[in-house]
Order: sequence, then C-alpha cells, then structure tokens
Amino acid sequence: MSTFTVQLDGKGFEAERGETILDVATRAGIHIPTLCDDPRLDAVGCCRMCLVEVSGEGRLQPACTWNATPDMRVTTTSERIERHRRTLLGLYAADHRLDSAGAPVQTPNGNALGDLVDQFGSLPLEPVETPRRGRPDDMNPYIRFDPELCILCARCTRYCDEVEGVSAIALAHRGAESTISTVADRGLLDTTCELCGGCIDTCPTGALSERRAPNLPPEAFEKTRTTCNFCGVGCQVDLNVVDGRVVKVTSPLPGETLNDGNLCVKGRFAYEFIHHPDRLREPLVRGEDGELHPTSWDVAMRYAAQGLMGVKRAHGADALGFVSSSRCTVEENYLVQKLSRAAFGTNNCHQCAAT
Amino acid sequence: MRNDDTAHERVLELLAREGGTNEANVQRVSAAAGVSEARVWGAGHFYSLLGGEPAGVRVCQGLSCHLAGSDEVCAELCDRGEAHTRVSCLGQCDRAPVALAEDLSLVSYSGRVGGVSPDDPGLPINLGGATEASFTALAHARTMGREALLSELEASGLQGRGGAAFPAHVKWRAICTQEQPERYVVCNADEGEPGTFKDRDVLLRRPDLLVQGLAIAAITVQAHETIVYIRGEFKDERASLERALKKYGEHIADTPIRIVPGHGAYICGEETALLESMEGRRGMPRLKPPFPTEAGYRNKPTLVHNVETLACLPSIIERGGEWFHSKGRTEAGTKLYSVSGHVNHPGVYELPLGVTLDELVENAGGYEGTPLAFSPGGASSGFLPMSHRDIPLDYGSMAHTGSMLGSAGVVVLNDTVDIAEAALWQAGFFEEESCGQCAPCRIGTRYVRQSLERYLEHGDPKLLDQIEDVKWEMVEGSICGLGMVAAEPLGSARRHFPTAFGSRRKRERA
Repeated sequence: MSTFTVQLDGKGFEAERGETILDVATRAGIHIPTLCDDPRLDAVGCCRMCLVEVSGEGRLQPACTWNATPDMRVTTTSERIERHRRTLLGLYAADHRLDSAGAPVQTPNGNALGDLVDQFGSLPLEPVETPRRGRPDDMNPYIRFDPELCILCARCTRYCDEVEGVSAIALAHRGAESTISTVADRGLLDTTCELCGGCIDTCPTGALSERRAPNLPPEAFEKTRTTCNFCGVGCQVDLNVVDGRVVKVTSPLPGETLNDGNLCVKGRFAYEFIHHPDRLREPLVRGEDGELHPTSWDVAMRYAAQGLMGVKRAHGADALGFVSSSRCTVEENYLVQKLSRAAFGTNNCHQCAAT
Repeated sequence: MRNDDTAHERVLELLAREGGTNEANVQRVSAAAGVSEARVWGAGHFYSLLGGEPAGVRVCQGLSCHLAGSDEVCAELCDRGEAHTRVSCLGQCDRAPVALAEDLSLVSYSGRVGGVSPDDPGLPINLGGATEASFTALAHARTMGREALLSELEASGLQGRGGAAFPAHVKWRAICTQEQPERYVVCNADEGEPGTFKDRDVLLRRPDLLVQGLAIAAITVQAHETIVYIRGEFKDERASLERALKKYGEHIADTPIRIVPGHGAYICGEETALLESMEGRRGMPRLKPPFPTEAGYRNKPTLVHNVETLACLPSIIERGGEWFHSKGRTEAGTKLYSVSGHVNHPGVYELPLGVTLDELVENAGGYEGTPLAFSPGGASSGFLPMSHRDIPLDYGSMAHTGSMLGSAGVVVLNDTVDIAEAALWQAGFFEEESCGQCAPCRIGTRYVRQSLERYLEHGDPKLLDQIEDVKWEMVEGSICGLGMVAAEPLGSARRHFPTAFGSRRKRERA
C-alpha cells in the first residue's frame, strides 16, 4: 500500500491511497464534525457538516467523500468554515423541534445536532414550517419516527439497505416534504422491516427512538455491558437501567465490539422477560398434588435424573433424546451432547439451530 | 446507495405505464423490476408526474405566466369547480398563461403562438427554415476522422448551451481519452429553466439538426448508445422527435438513439440528477467529481449535451468551425434567445451571441409598457435593472455583472410589476423544485420563500435581515447549482432595487 503525506491545518500526516480526508483527520485526532457519516455505510456527503477547504478547490468540499491525494493541503478550521458551520446549524435548527431555550431538543438517545450547536454555535433564524410527514398510524410496538427531529441524513434508510439488506424504509417526496417513508405510509409491521432497530441506533438526532423506553435524558440511563443470550453469536449489548430495571437495550458503538453496532429484534427489544412476573426465578418440581412447587437445584436435578434414568431402564437409552437451544454457547452445546452420549448412552442429540 | 444493476432503470418507466405511484402499482413494479417496494415508492414520489393521484389541470406558475395572469386562470378554474394544481414553469412562456390538461396536452389561455427568427440560411440553426433530410453534415462527419472533427469543434468555439458554457471540445476530448470503451452520449432535453423554451422549438421545428448532432457526437466519441432524456411534459416535442428518428432512420442505423422521458422534476435538468433519473432513481444530483465524462450513465464515460449544443453541430461540420465562430459578436456563434414577459412578440430568436437586450427585444416586437427589469437567463440568473440593457448578452459579460446568461431565457418585467413579488414567485419555484438532499438548499429555499412572504405580509424589512447569511450558506454549502442560485432572485432584486424592500403597509394574506 503506497502512503503519502497530506497537510491538515499546516501539519503533515500520513495517508493511504483511497482514504478520505475524514479518515486521515480522524486518525490524526483532528475533529471534523459530521451528521450523515456512519462508518458502516457508504459516504454520501449530504449533511454538509464536514465541509472543509481543500487546496485548488474554490468550493468547500465534504471531508467524508473527498479522497486524500499527495501534497493536498486541507484546512479544517477557518473563518469561512466557522461561518459555514454556524449558518448550516442555524438552518438545521430552524427546521427542528427546539426546547424553551431555543436549542434542538434533547432526546433519550441524545441529539448530535444539539451537541454541534453547543460546540460551534448557530445563527439564530426564524423557524421554518416543516411539512415533513410521519406515520402517525404506525402501530408497531418498538420503533417511533418523529419527523420534527429528522434532518434527512438518510442514515436510517441507507442502514436498512446497505447493512440489513431489508429496504423497508426509503426517502420519499421532494424538497422540504422529503421524509422517511414506507410504501403507502404502512406501519413497519406491514413492511419487510425485521424490527432490528438499527435505524434507531444510527439516527443522530433521536428522530427514531424506542417506543417503550422512558423519555429521560441520556445520562439517566445507567449502562451495563453484557453478552446477548438469545443465540450463540455473542453480540455485546448495553442494558440501559433506570431505578434497577432494564428499560432499553442498545448496542455498543460500531467498531467497538464484534457485532459492529448491530443487533437483531430479539437482542434489542426482547428484554421484557427480565422483569416479567411469570419469569422462572427458581427450580420448580411438580408434586403429588399436580402443582409446581419451589425447590432446591439439588432436588430438581435429582428428580430430572431419576425420570430420565427411569425411561432408559424401561425403554432403552434410545428412547431418550436431547435437544439443546441455540441460546446456548458452544461449550454448553458440547456438554449437552456429552450428557447425551456419555451419561445416558444415546446419540439422539440435536441442537435447534442445526437444521 | 448506487450498487445495483440496470434492473433499477425500469422503475420509473414501469410506474408511468402503471399510472403512477400507488400501493398496488408499486407492488407490481417492485416484482417486475426486482427492486424493493420502498425504493420504488421513494423514487416514484420524487416526481410530480408520478404522483398516482389525478392532478387536474396543471396551471403554470412560471414568471411569464404569472405576468400574464396565471392567478386569474386559477381563480376561474376554482369558480368553475375544475380541479387544478399549480405547477412549475412548463416552458411555454411565449404562449402564457398556459396549463396542461390531465393528458398533458397544452392549453394556452392567450391563444398566442410564439415567434421565431425568419428563415435565413445564414443562421446555424435557423428555426424558421425547412428540415433537412439529406443529412450531408453527418455524411461529411463520417469521412472526416476524429481529430479533424475535434479541431473543427475547437475552432467553432462552441460553448455548452445548457447554461454552463463549458467548451464543448474539452468535454469531447475528455471522453475520447477515457480507457473505458463503453461510452454514452446523452442529450439533455429536460428543458425547465423558467423563461426558457428554445429546446422546445428545436425539437418541434428542427429535430433533424438534433438527430444529426447526436449521430455526429456518437460516432466521434464512439458511443455505445445515445439517449435523449426528454422532459415528461413535452408530449408534442417527443412525438416530433420520434417522427424524426423514424424518418431519418436510414442515416443513423449504426448509432442507436433511445428516448427516455422525464417525469416532472426541474432538478433532472442538472446533468447528474438526470443520470440518476435515467437509472430509475430519485433525481438527486451526485457529488462531483467524478464528472460524467469520467463516470456518468451506468458509471461509464458519458457526454451530456443540451439540445441546442447538439443542434449547432451540423452547421459547424458543414460550414466549418471558423464560420460558426464568426456568427457571434462578443462570443462564438449564434444563440437561441427565448424572450417572454413584457414584450410584444415573445418567441425564440437566433441572434449573434452578445446582442444587447434592446436589440433582442426589437426582434421580439419591442417592449410592452415601460421596462423595469429583466432576467437574462431564467430564474437562476436573478433580476437585472434596465441600466444593464447595453451589456452584451453573452456568458462572460453576464457573469461579470454577478448574473449569468445561463440558458438565455430572457424575461422582461415592466414597471407594473412589484419586483419583490416577482422574487417571491421565483423563490417559490426553487423551494418546490429543490430535491431535498442537502440542508442548505432544502431548508434555505424554504427559509427564503417564507421570509419574503412574511415581509410582503407584514411590511417589516427586518424580516429579511438574515437573508444574506442564508444565501451565503446556500452558495457555499449546497451540493449542486440549484441551491447555489436559488436565493439569487431575491438577492439581486434587493441589490438592484433596494427601494422596493423598505417598509411596506401590512396587507391581508390572500
């Protein structure tokens, strides 16, 4: 791979062919603000936040799509760029729901627009009337779309296309009426949507959010990293806890863990069992009265072993079969087949994901 | 976003055939094209002719139609209880006010027919002349060889007539140097700049020149295929071109020419949005570079030219580049000027590049009333005061004034017009036609229109205080030219007519 030097704000940095200005700047620790960038997606340069000055170019150019070339000189901070950022942010804010102080509203998932306004300031502008439509009749239980918080960066639609290959949502209409749409404004349950919630995750402004999560500021959620136990892939999840209860599940940032910011519908939304009253919290054994009664693990194990051995004695080992769950780890699956073959003497063992 | 194959290209055509973007049609088109339903829906709902709902009578809201009473037309339709929709400029400004019936046939409420320069064989295009069936220019071009042809083109000084005035020979040479053998020639017949209707007349009166021009371009750059992207509202123009392709078919048997219709979106006149549309997607401009000469249609080298540019080619080949060059005054060649608004005989006049406004309007029968201002090149060029009437109407001189010749869609406004009101009409046009991809344009056009509307309602000039900053950002930050020029009608009106933007009396909202 051939490397060369580019100048960022007067200092030389090494770059590789095919890298963008944003790639080089990020590695160099130079912050260039972005809104439509997500490392998992093809760069499109539509949010205009990352515009920088490039030597030989009259117009400002997007750092996320502009390839670094040898001897290129890039300026990431100047009076012109500051004015651009402030004015652009002012326009975004004029088209956004604001809080009582006139700043982009905070959401449970944060709001990158608000963060950038805090950092760079924004030109105060009269709000514009926003004709973007949402889908008020969408009855899906998990994903909410609030058009007043949408900045049309299209990260959600691109994620749905490029990462999930699902293409349930798309940009529709034109100009100020452009919005994130489904066919005929159907609810997500009536589309190809798999409810993975990745659109929520990639949304920078909280326009897409979890319906069931409480409306609290981001800092109210205490995050605990754990491994999703719905299957053996081992996705890392962050359980978002408020008052000792899991109220939301989010993914660690892209690039941070092996699931690269992605989760499936189960990992992201099937957390209600954690605090469900019907959840089994201790071993139960059916008594003479036909009812289930709490007992100790020792008793329960002995009870199960006796039952299984009874079948083996009466009908032979092959009358038994062991099916393990795809929620088990590799090690647990190994132990189940060991139990089947070594302890009970049958090859009737299976795993539900093996078919 | 652009990673699928040509399956996507059929989406818009299929939607049009099915009758627009509704749920049932989207399902059928999705199945037939192998493209997800959501994408089909999103693409279809970008285009105003694919809305899927009956639009009724489409009443033109272009500047010239406004001047000629389009509001009265709408009021009458309302009184008669006829369904109608206000639409962006239909490019029929010489017949203003106009509308399109539901089947897209043209309705002119003035009954006027636009003028053209009288037949003169000394004119390179000569709209008033008869069509030429012998195709001698094309036959000559076939014998010339590429280098001789490119030299002739260079000597002609021909600049792209779509508005950018890029030297044609530079584009051609850029294509010829590409290693990729699969190349395309695309004709941009998506004429839509408000005030411009010259390509319409080439298509209607001299399609022979366009067909020859296309074939000359195709053989020179060794095009794989040649495509004409024609404005969806141009029903008669398309029929005229189809007839010509059939009639002259024997001359162009080795250069297949295909017609792709537009579906109602001004932005598709921007060359990369046009390519996106040809590929069946939303007409959102691409980031440049790469330019189409390098990666255009299907990501292959593509020569994109305006109708008029191509129509200049036969005379350049036949009579020589020098001859064409000498036809201009301050810049090379003649130019088709569309003239409308407050003039006595609106129409398309072919005159030396660099005539003055007064000379041009003399051809168009003189001024109607006392002229106040003019737009030299459509909505994008903003407004100029009459003190600029002596400046040559050429690309360089107009750019020097801070305006542009653009497509040379000249609209004259007389002193009965409130220039602030005229700026509002133009602002409304750009807001309606912004593709919505980037915030400076999507929000900026809306901000400009809304501020101006509030100012006209409340009369307080303070309501326009932030316009310069917003305009600055639209120029600096927009992806394409639409956003860059969209605030210019208001900007130029304030610059040249400051007194029109003082305190005003409050007025009732209509």
